[in-house]
Amino acid sequence: MRRLAPILALLFACTCTWGARAGLVRMDSARKGEKELLYLPNGKYLKAISLGHAPLVADLIYLWAIQYYSDYERADRYRYVEHVFGDVVAELDPRYLDPYWLGALILTVEAHELDRGLKLLDEGFANNPQQWILPYLAGWECDHAGQYERAVGYFERAAAVPGAPAALLRLEAGMTARSGDLRGALKRWQAVLDNPRGDEEARAIAQRQIRGLTVQADLAQLTAAIEAFARREGHRPRSLHDLVSAGLVPELPLDPDGNPYAYDPATGEVSSPASRVLGS
Amino acid sequence: MRAVVAIALNTFREAIRDRILYLILAFAIGLIALARFVSLLTVGSEVKIIKDLGLSAISIFGLLATTFVGVSLLFKEIERRTVLTMLAQPVRRWQFVAGKYAGLLLVLGSLVSVTGLALLAAVALKGESPVSLVPAILMIMVELALIAAFAVLFSAFTNPILAAVGTVATYVAGHLSWSFDLLEKRVDSASGKLLCRALHVVLPNLDRLDVKAAAVHGVPLAPGYLPLATAYGLGYASVVVVLACVVFERREFV
Repeated sequence: MRRLAPILALLFACTCTWGARAGLVRMDSARKGEKELLYLPNGKYLKAISLGHAPLVADLIYLWAIQYYSDYERADRYRYVEHVFGDVVAELDPRYLDPYWLGALILTVEAHELDRGLKLLDEGFANNPQQWILPYLAGWECDHAGQYERAVGYFERAAAVPGAPAALLRLEAGMTARSGDLRGALKRWQAVLDNPRGDEEARAIAQRQIRGLTVQADLAQLTAAIEAFARREGHRPRSLHDLVSAGLVPELPLDPDGNPYAYDPATGEVSSPASRVLGS
Repeated sequence: MRAVVAIALNTFREAIRDRILYLILAFAIGLIALARFVSLLTVGSEVKIIKDLGLSAISIFGLLATTFVGVSLLFKEIERRTVLTMLAQPVRRWQFVAGKYAGLLLVLGSLVSVTGLALLAAVALKGESPVSLVPAILMIMVELALIAAFAVLFSAFTNPILAAVGTVATYVAGHLSWSFDLLEKRVDSASGKLLCRALHVVLPNLDRLDVKAAAVHGVPLAPGYLPLATAYGLGYASVVVVLACVVFERREFV
């Protein structure tokens, strides 16, 4: 009996501990979904009590946040994303880039809240003006959301950072074309062509884009003028020269190969062999 | 000088026989090793977690070692009466205090070197150059030298428990000294402002010695910052050690 006593005591203690643990786990799962993030203090206060270890506290909260946001069952998942990644982690360690883009990714991709995601990336860029990666990511988020003009602005800011890759100028130009501003895109591609930091490949791409965009811009201009002529005169112009006579275009443009644009008065369509070469 | 060196080496030998020091060392290295696994949980830069955790481990366990070893440095000698034997030799009291402090610095230097090398190796194993961390590790050593000076000062006139409380309180106050500057702007009374100003100036500003974040992010420090911060830390520590010598000179061993 004496030898059995410690074993029984041990078993009893283990059972009690296990039972208590199971009870705590049940309470935890019942509490899930409560607004526990409300109790996460602002980074300013955490920084004060971190006693010189603010970056470590930022790491620990970031690691915890990754686990927290990996749980897709939480009801208020997206409510405090900026608080966790912006007010807390960024306050503790403003140069820590990962939380900015991860928080923005959660907001834009999962919560479909582009503006909130961009705000986080803007905060990151304000704290780290030498990090072109943050406006670059913001540009792509805008692109995914179909907001090409905003994307252009972000790529412009990214390209303006000293030491940013020259390829950002190409993204800026490409996005300007996607936004529908063909003349603006032409100017930006010209800047890529003239960029002394650009390589041969970049120049070749720029030349192809300038050629294609020139045709697109001219065709768009001529088509708009034909439509205006038809509205004013009640019939389509007999030739493109009628557009010049009517004062709708100052002069007839030539395609990049130096040939005039072809016009079919029956259908009102303008075309160019140069655009067919490009396949556009 | 010879007496100071002899006491320092003796203090060092005595301290490294203490098991608690090895426990602290094992925990610090264990934490640095653990950082490699903790970093796997992150999304993004793993090496940043290793650097932060490693530097904080060196700093926190260094503070623990300073407190455990430093606070009983003089008190133990007085309690055991060995100080009387020592002072019966041709050794001045200030030499005894300076020797004890130098011995403590040797212990801390060894601890920081071993844990620092472990961190540099952990970062290098991740394929990143650990060179940028060296200034941060050196500044942690300067900070510990300053805290050690306070531990020796408290040890010169009080028991280890109070000395430990005083040492840790100095560390906390040193990292919160900026708050007195903030408080000064909020307080209305002139005497309150003066007190806040005095505390802000007199208390050691340990944030000035903290370059961990800059080292981890590879941000270059202002030219001359490191020598100035080192001069501030070591200068402050020297003042505190001189104070400890003065206190020890005035003590009566009955």
